[in-house]
Amino acid sequence: MLSIISLSLFGILNLFLGFLKSRRVLLPATLLFIALAFAANLLDWNHQYVYFRDMLRTNNLFINFSSIILLTTFLTVAISRSFGTDEEHTHPAEYYAIMLFSVVGALMMVGFENLIMLFIGLEILSVSLYVLTGSDKRSLRSNEAALKYFLMGSFATGIFLFGIALVYGATGSFNLSAIGSYVSGGPTTGISPLLYVGLLFILAGMLFKVSAAPFHFWTPDVYDGAPTLFTAFMSTVVKTAGFAALYRLLTVSFTGVYGLWWQVLTGVTVLTLLVGNITAVYQSSVKRMLAYSSVSHAGYLLIAVAAKTPQSPSAILFYSLAYSIATITGFAVLILVAEQKPIEGRPDERYEAFNGLAKRNPLLAFSLAVSMVSLAGIPLTAGFWGKFFVFSTAVDRGMTNMGMVLVVAVLMSVVGVYYYFRVIIASYLKTGDSEPIGIRPLYRFILVLTTALTIGLGLFPDVVRQLF
Amino acid sequence: MPYLSLLIILPLLAALLVVFLPNRNQTTFRWIALVASLLNFLLTLLLFFRFDKSVAGYQFVEQTDWITLSLGPLGVVSIDYFLGLDGISLPLVLLAGLVLAIGAISSFEIKQKQKAYFALYSLLSASLMGCFVALDLFLFFLFFEFMLLPMYFLIGLWGGERREYASIKFFVYTFLGSIFILLVMIGLYLSVADPVETAVAMGLVPGKELVDANVIADVQNYLQEGRIEADQIVHTFSIPYMAEPGNYLPQSLLNIAADHVLFGQSARMLAFVLVFLGFAVKLPVVPLHTWLPDAHVEAPTPVSVVLAGVLLKIGGYGFIRIAYGLFPDGAIVFAPWLGGLGVLSIVYGALNALAMNDLKRMIAYSSVSHMGFVLLGLASLTSEGVNGALFQMVSHGILSAMLFLIAGVLYTRTHDRQLDSYRGLAARMPGYVTLTAIAFFGSLGLPALSGFIGEFFTIMGAFNSPYLPNWMAPVATLGIVLAAGYFLWTLQRLFFGEFWSKHEAGLLTDVTPRERLMLVPLAALALMLGILPGILLNLTQSTVGEFLKNF
Amino acid sequence: MNTNYLPSDYLPIVVQLLAALGFIVGSMLVSHNIGPKRHSKKKDDPFECGIPTEGDARTPISVKYFLVAILFVLFDVEIIFLYPWAVNFLDWMKESREMAIAIFVEMILFMGLLLVGFYYIIRKGVLNWNQ
Repeated sequence: MLSIISLSLFGILNLFLGFLKSRRVLLPATLLFIALAFAANLLDWNHQYVYFRDMLRTNNLFINFSSIILLTTFLTVAISRSFGTDEEHTHPAEYYAIMLFSVVGALMMVGFENLIMLFIGLEILSVSLYVLTGSDKRSLRSNEAALKYFLMGSFATGIFLFGIALVYGATGSFNLSAIGSYVSGGPTTGISPLLYVGLLFILAGMLFKVSAAPFHFWTPDVYDGAPTLFTAFMSTVVKTAGFAALYRLLTVSFTGVYGLWWQVLTGVTVLTLLVGNITAVYQSSVKRMLAYSSVSHAGYLLIAVAAKTPQSPSAILFYSLAYSIATITGFAVLILVAEQKPIEGRPDERYEAFNGLAKRNPLLAFSLAVSMVSLAGIPLTAGFWGKFFVFSTAVDRGMTNMGMVLVVAVLMSVVGVYYYFRVIIASYLKTGDSEPIGIRPLYRFILVLTTALTIGLGLFPDVVRQLF
Repeated sequence: MPYLSLLIILPLLAALLVVFLPNRNQTTFRWIALVASLLNFLLTLLLFFRFDKSVAGYQFVEQTDWITLSLGPLGVVSIDYFLGLDGISLPLVLLAGLVLAIGAISSFEIKQKQKAYFALYSLLSASLMGCFVALDLFLFFLFFEFMLLPMYFLIGLWGGERREYASIKFFVYTFLGSIFILLVMIGLYLSVADPVETAVAMGLVPGKELVDANVIADVQNYLQEGRIEADQIVHTFSIPYMAEPGNYLPQSLLNIAADHVLFGQSARMLAFVLVFLGFAVKLPVVPLHTWLPDAHVEAPTPVSVVLAGVLLKIGGYGFIRIAYGLFPDGAIVFAPWLGGLGVLSIVYGALNALAMNDLKRMIAYSSVSHMGFVLLGLASLTSEGVNGALFQMVSHGILSAMLFLIAGVLYTRTHDRQLDSYRGLAARMPGYVTLTAIAFFGSLGLPALSGFIGEFFTIMGAFNSPYLPNWMAPVATLGIVLAAGYFLWTLQRLFFGEFWSKHEAGLLTDVTPRERLMLVPLAALALMLGILPGILLNLTQSTVGEFLKNF
Repeated sequence: MNTNYLPSDYLPIVVQLLAALGFIVGSMLVSHNIGPKRHSKKKDDPFECGIPTEGDARTPISVKYFLVAILFVLFDVEIIFLYPWAVNFLDWMKESREMAIAIFVEMILFMGLLLVGFYYIIRKGVLNWNQ
């Protein structure tokens, strides 16, 4: 709770820091704010609190999820540099503030105890993201992406809200546990059909936010159009928060109708895995590939949600952590590589831009390779353990239920190897121009840190896993 | 002395040393890699002499806790750093030691990006060794997966023209296989309990060192009666524990007695098939073999040598240790299928080899054919068959290393491996002819050379096997006939008749001392194993005897 | 009053709806199909009282109008919260003094945040039309 309050205040503070003459203070200040919020967040460890008449609940799971969110935000902010091409028309203070506000939304989604709170959190997060998507004001692609995201997102929010209303109509409550006791206690008249429809609408809204197929069509365009920094932010923070919320909603409130949403979710999972992975193969831009790869990772995360075993939360946590770190690294390298040789004023995000990267900057190439290997799920990296835990939950749920999903997931992770390795092929096996790429110390530190984390989590997953 | 850890650590140290030494002196890198691999080879020889042949179980065992994960109601997962050696793995460790040392010598011809090359080569050596000595399924899987990365780069960076295609194909094929294995691995760890650690977790004994056979039997009884709380059960990846049916949780997915059904099939059979597919890609078994010719053709000579000499053997080793060791029931049910696939590989590989004009491609297909004998011998589930399969693996490791070195000799001189570019080389390269003849005759199964023993024993096993239909052994012998065909024909086309070559005659010089240094010991070894097969068969016998009691 | 409506009771409404839709769609289709179609530059021109068109229908308006409009809506909506609060405040006072104080402090906080936002807007120069 302290983290939410402090982040909101820090956001406002950030706005005013923008009036200072020097912009150089902004980045360290924002990093400091996030670190402070991270510390404040940890204060509640091993305590359970309920705030505002059952509106918000913080416990260790909340702290774990929000720590991951804050960590990824920290990493994203640390790799940020400039927004847009011309300095005059950019407003870094505002963008940092909006990022902090959106993290507030994400934290509310993680800790909600009431559907209203979930909705508010989701809206804070989404509205901030619409703005951030369009933050490259002079770029047509960015504008298009923002508008598209806004239109589609508000449509999804509408459906989501309608779902909440229907659930309220059926149960007479917005409270998670009250809905849960209605669903599992079974009212004498039987469960109202409104509840089923409402649940499906809520699911559709949430699945849209985490970009699961068939609600994923906005993802590639938006991720592609948004400035790469915010693409990294979107594809990590939103996903973590979205899955935390989805899991919490489904397990606390709707365990009683597991039979219903399980079927929906497995269908969506299979579709997401297929669409995400197969379309990613055909991309010629690394950024689009990463966008589709984020769709496919939503599929893997959905497996753990659909399995709904006691191990699911920790599997989701570990997977999100591994995925977020690797994705941030991938995007960080992409930002640097793409701006080396812009094509017609736009950063060059094609695979070819990575040619000969190993020669141009070995550190970039190595951390990129580690992150891709981790995303592909190869042992001794964090991504492998993420897949391992997720698959374990599915096997634990039972092969008769999850067998089909597992088979698809396995085949698709092989497909994943193909497109992730294309980047490695380009950077190590192809020859390109040999102009070295320079990086700032902070950037270098972040890359070393994420790479070390990815390998460290791959070697000793139990260290982090004990916490979950 | 932690001999087995040293086998892994030495090349790892070499890799680190290569990475962190400054770039100035490129030649030191190859010496570091060579010294490490020679030391490793000496270490394997030491193991050979200190190995107690009469013991069937694991020797030189090392075990320490590595990862312990508490999964709440799912119990505890314990992953150990668990190494050991028995009669099945020792011959392969010896082979790996030898071939990796030869490969290191052969790597002297690598001139570009030496630092990266020798770091990757040492890394590959470490993970290959690790594969053969790991007794924890998880650890095995780690090594098994991890070796793909250095191999991928070795082919992709130093390979021929189509190296990108070949390397990604290699990677995707084997990765697909290993994902299958991963699935089964998850099923196994959910099904198997570690009786020793469970005893400690239950509080039966205060410490692990106090657990004796009685306690283990007690725990297994409790387990079968379902009297252990779920969160006290310690799940394990230990291969020896997985091989004991008593350690399986009752009603668990892969328990024999529970006999779960998935997709209309028995879960254990399905698991066996998945593991089989995983290793079949590596072996390779037709029709999963297509990555092999591509990888071989594109790979530089030393990588080809390691690929054929050691990497393929992991497929065979995985069959014995994991597919057969953990699912003996599946091995019996599928024996005719596996035998059939073995025969198919033998004949199909041989026919393909007959049609090839590229020397390396021809050798690659002959590898497919020869590894078919391994599968056939294993499928027979007889003492002759399994011993023969192990023998065949070692013999093929030696001979195929030789064959690829021979192809490399020609390639370094003219960069042309087409058979029809040469004729009558015998006149100009007499030393080369002799060594090639030994390798060819050894491979086609001439008595007194090692190839004969392996093929003879596997076919004998196939004849005697109660599980295989009678037609398989005769059809498999057809493979030997075809092998004679393609090897002799190649010999004739390359070496006999009047000298003629597309290339300048001056290029075609006889084998250099360095090449001789690699080829002669291999040839001597092939001869020695052909005459004294007992050296190897004595090693494997007791372990294989114990192994076959499961069937 | 009869409160138990059956679905069939809604039938007249459905019929009405269908008839309305049918008339619209039908008349549009018919007029589109039987009417003559002639195209020429003159005919396809937008037509307004016989005067030739000039310029674009969507003339750009200064972005400041939008900003002020949005800011107005923002602050207006937030002021609305004050009404119910003010109406109920006396009741809270009667109920418990402590609670009333807490609620008062909350409102002060809320207003404070609004003021901070207002100050931000002024510093940002949004309300400055001269620029």
